[in-house]
Amino acid sequence: MNLIVPPRPKYREARYAYATVLPVVLLVALFTLYPIGFAVVTSLREVVLYKPESTPFVGLKNYVDVIRSEFFTSAWGHTLTFAAGAVPFATVLGFGIAHLLNARTRMASFLNVTILLPWAIPTVISGIIWAWIFNSSYGAFNGALYSLGVIERYVPWLSRPTTALLSVLFAHVWKEVPLTSILYLAALQAIPDELFDAARADGAGALAALRHITIPLLIPTTLIIVVYETMVAIVTFDLLYVMTGGGPGGATSLISYFVYNSMFTSYNFGQGAALAVLLAASLVVFIVIYLRLLRSEELYRE
Amino acid sequence: MSPRRRRWGNLVVTLLGLVVAAYILAPFAWVALSSIQPEKELFRVPPHWIPRIVTADNYRFIFTGKFPAGYQETGLLRGRISEKARDALPALRNSTIVALTVALANLIFGTIAAYTFARVRFRGANPLYVFILASRLLPPMAVAIPYYLIINRLGLLDRYSALILIHSTFTLPFTVWFLTIYFRRVPPDIEEAAMVDGCTRLQALLRIVAPVAAPALAATAAFAFMFSYNDFPFALFVTATIRSQTIPVIVSVTAVNPDVSFGVVAVAVVLTMIPPVAFAMVFRNYITRGLIAVTTTR
Repeated sequence: MNLIVPPRPKYREARYAYATVLPVVLLVALFTLYPIGFAVVTSLREVVLYKPESTPFVGLKNYVDVIRSEFFTSAWGHTLTFAAGAVPFATVLGFGIAHLLNARTRMASFLNVTILLPWAIPTVISGIIWAWIFNSSYGAFNGALYSLGVIERYVPWLSRPTTALLSVLFAHVWKEVPLTSILYLAALQAIPDELFDAARADGAGALAALRHITIPLLIPTTLIIVVYETMVAIVTFDLLYVMTGGGPGGATSLISYFVYNSMFTSYNFGQGAALAVLLAASLVVFIVIYLRLLRSEELYRE
Repeated sequence: MSPRRRRWGNLVVTLLGLVVAAYILAPFAWVALSSIQPEKELFRVPPHWIPRIVTADNYRFIFTGKFPAGYQETGLLRGRISEKARDALPALRNSTIVALTVALANLIFGTIAAYTFARVRFRGANPLYVFILASRLLPPMAVAIPYYLIINRLGLLDRYSALILIHSTFTLPFTVWFLTIYFRRVPPDIEEAAMVDGCTRLQALLRIVAPVAAPALAATAAFAFMFSYNDFPFALFVTATIRSQTIPVIVSVTAVNPDVSFGVVAVAVVLTMIPPVAFAMVFRNYITRGLIAVTTTR
């Protein structure tokens, strides 16, 4: 191709290139490099609201304090518990729903339209709706259980540590299931029909086909979903803000909410910055794993 | 499979489908029903699943400020009405203006930059591309305070432009990446022929490539719109008053107030959901393809 097209003047081409990518690069640089630099510098100093003039350099003290704090440990504990529940739940549900979406029925075309809705609305909005569903005086969940005779009086689900975390988890899964279903649907549709035809010809039943064809072929997709959903679970914030405010007693103070709390309610910016750096660093670990998985996944390379 | 077993299979699929549809739609139905009932009805134990009393009072309150009838009779409940909920309408306007501007900024700057990355060879192209993509990996909570400080220093606190800048920072990397891949798949022959005939790069993009890539452009614009419209934490940090507060902020700060009227906030929630739900319906196919690409392409 280059043989036919005469080379264009190089300097003009380069000038055009820099001019066109510059707006994006500058914007991204401003909102990436400065925050990183700021967070690292702040995390090495003592910065508290009531002493704005004096911000002495304290080295790694903030990091040590943060890591030693029992709130930090418990926030990570809650986060991992949350992820351990949310990720398998969202993955398995998505796997099941993808099969329903893939069925050639009228129900499937209806589901294909509705499945996007939880994903489409703002997370805080879904959080508010679920907080109301689990509300202790007007909640639909209490109403349903009461009508069925399961409970005799309304239960304050969001005011008890375990049920509060479960309620948030439920709302989170509802919001994430559209994505996991759609990813599984895409992977299901990529499996050649001939494989299933051959299995049927050999006398294999639906369960055998699921076990020996579908599940093995969906392992790469599953890995991607699991790692991606783990990252999403770790950065969960919006739902906590509107559903529980991190309570009761910190039971739903997952790590992102804990960082927010340290910065905006305790006003210890040095520790907040150290927390932010630690959070970013721990996510980088997941992202590296995630990118490795994507790279090894030939299925999606076009 | 025997016809009989197939019929049973279809029945099971339909039943499961109904369960899933109920699971997805029930929360929407619950909030919609809450918005058309008087406050008293909402607290009935057990609830009336099919509303007995239907009223437009909550909507009237949001649109005109006229108190729902029941609230004036009972002084106790009157305190539960949050005047703040009436900010929903201006907040919807703010959200729409910001989100449309972000979508437009993505269409203009994202498209032009992506086309350059796809077609032009220049020094530093690869590092810049990787830098733009990698910027998205920062967790929002880690950059909250620095963002606030930047916006403060620029004198943009509580202005649309603060949100537009931040939302563009978060959406442009995706747009650039998505469109760069897309443009690379378009054969360059026609553009090159046009450029031999004296067309500039920009003209080639606008006249030849953009029309072909219209579906991809629509998808990225839809994603940018929805990200901006749905964003909560940043909108919370850099806005202060109804001058720039977006609808997720208004609805959230209203809803977490324990004294608020559920019926009134339910109206705000319903109104909030209309634009993104309409968007999701219209752009369903593009969004589905985009979602798959976002999470599964390197």
